Amino acid sequence: MSNWERLVWNQREVLLKGFLVTVEICLIAFAIAVVGGMLLCLVRLYVKPLKPLAVLLIEFFRATPIFVQLMWVAYVWPEIFGWPGTFFAAGCVALGVQSSGYLAETFRAGIEAIPRGHREAGYSVGMSPPQVFRRIVLPQTLLASAPSIVNQFTVIVKSSTLVSVITVQDLMFQALKLVTVWYEPIEILTVTAGIYIGFVFLVSLAGKTLADRLRLRYGLAAA
Amino acid sequence: MVSDALAEALDLTTFWEYREVLLRGLAFNVYTFLAAATVSIAIGLAAALLRVNRLRPLRWAGTVHVELFRNAPDYIMVVWVHFVLPLLLGKLLGSRIEFDPFVSAVIALGFVYSGYFAETFRTGIQAIPLGHLEAARACGMSERQILWRITLPQVVRRMLPEAVNIFVSQFKATTIISLIAVPDLMYRVGMVLQQEMKPLPLYTGAALTYFIVVYLFAGTVRALSERWRNRIYA
Repeated sequence: MSNWERLVWNQREVLLKGFLVTVEICLIAFAIAVVGGMLLCLVRLYVKPLKPLAVLLIEFFRATPIFVQLMWVAYVWPEIFGWPGTFFAAGCVALGVQSSGYLAETFRAGIEAIPRGHREAGYSVGMSPPQVFRRIVLPQTLLASAPSIVNQFTVIVKSSTLVSVITVQDLMFQALKLVTVWYEPIEILTVTAGIYIGFVFLVSLAGKTLADRLRLRYGLAAA
Repeated sequence: MVSDALAEALDLTTFWEYREVLLRGLAFNVYTFLAAATVSIAIGLAAALLRVNRLRPLRWAGTVHVELFRNAPDYIMVVWVHFVLPLLLGKLLGSRIEFDPFVSAVIALGFVYSGYFAETFRTGIQAIPLGHLEAARACGMSERQILWRITLPQVVRRMLPEAVNIFVSQFKATTIISLIAVPDLMYRVGMVLQQEMKPLPLYTGAALTYFIVVYLFAGTVRALSERWRNRIYA
């Protein structure tokens, strides 16, 4: 039992620091994913000339493995675009754009599922197209895709373990560092795996509860 | 400056020069995927059968399996299986054990994705009308015969589209095995990088290669499974 105390409990501050970095990265990436996904989806649906570009981006983000994309964003983007400047930013951007591809498709499915009559009703009471989108389409889409959005957050958390590879000091990074210092991986890696599994479990539990609530209250969100 | 960098990134001659080495790396991705997918289907089916079992402890065991592996990040599981599992097994058996990185990769990815397969199998099993099972029992089939002749053929057809999605994720996840030194495509890109010092074309080439492979693979499998389903249902 002393191993647990020496390797895990005494290192709790380091691990906690790493965990906070993980949470920070995931939240930033999630924000990028939601905003980026909505933009990609809107461009794909409503901006005719740019549609092929949006489709290409969505498919590229979705079909490239996250690890490959992470290396690509971290080492190639700074040369081409002069940005992102730090590995931390690169991690956030890579995780964000990957998920934005998935969310764009989720949003599109949500928007296309809205009955035509809702939109026509909006126009017939004199709303402008932006008003129809803001008041009728958007709320329903967000409600219907809320469970998938939460689910995408769990994907981001899982993928965020990889940012340790580009030296971002998240939980995984700190755990692997402790392992190389002490040469005793059993306790540290088991606890780290437990933290990640517990965190993802709680997030997906919250997602399920949210989906049930929404279904009860609005009769929506059938997934 | 922007266009120079862009031109360098898209100048794939370096990537092309090393095509043989890199292709052999891609083969490792495919092997790992095939082996891990087999493991996940077998274990996923077993876990799904546990979850629909009549005995409550067995159902719980199935649920624990699914929740554990569906919520586990791939990377930490790969690392855990590679570094911790051999030590634990060694303590148990009283000898020194080491896993080949390839074996660790197959075990880890196989178990992680078995959680997803278990859920897909379970929803498929539970979607089968009770009348089918009753009809089979009325004909005097044993439980095993019912599973193989009535349940599984229907489950497989029903779960195909979802299974394709899981396969795609699993194939994409094989890129992380380079981190425990399985000589796959990304690992070899890293090695070439040390010689050539040209991250732009190499990483761009790797990203494009995976994009094309995954895109074609997903499209082909989806088309094939659609055709097969249509033929059977029609």
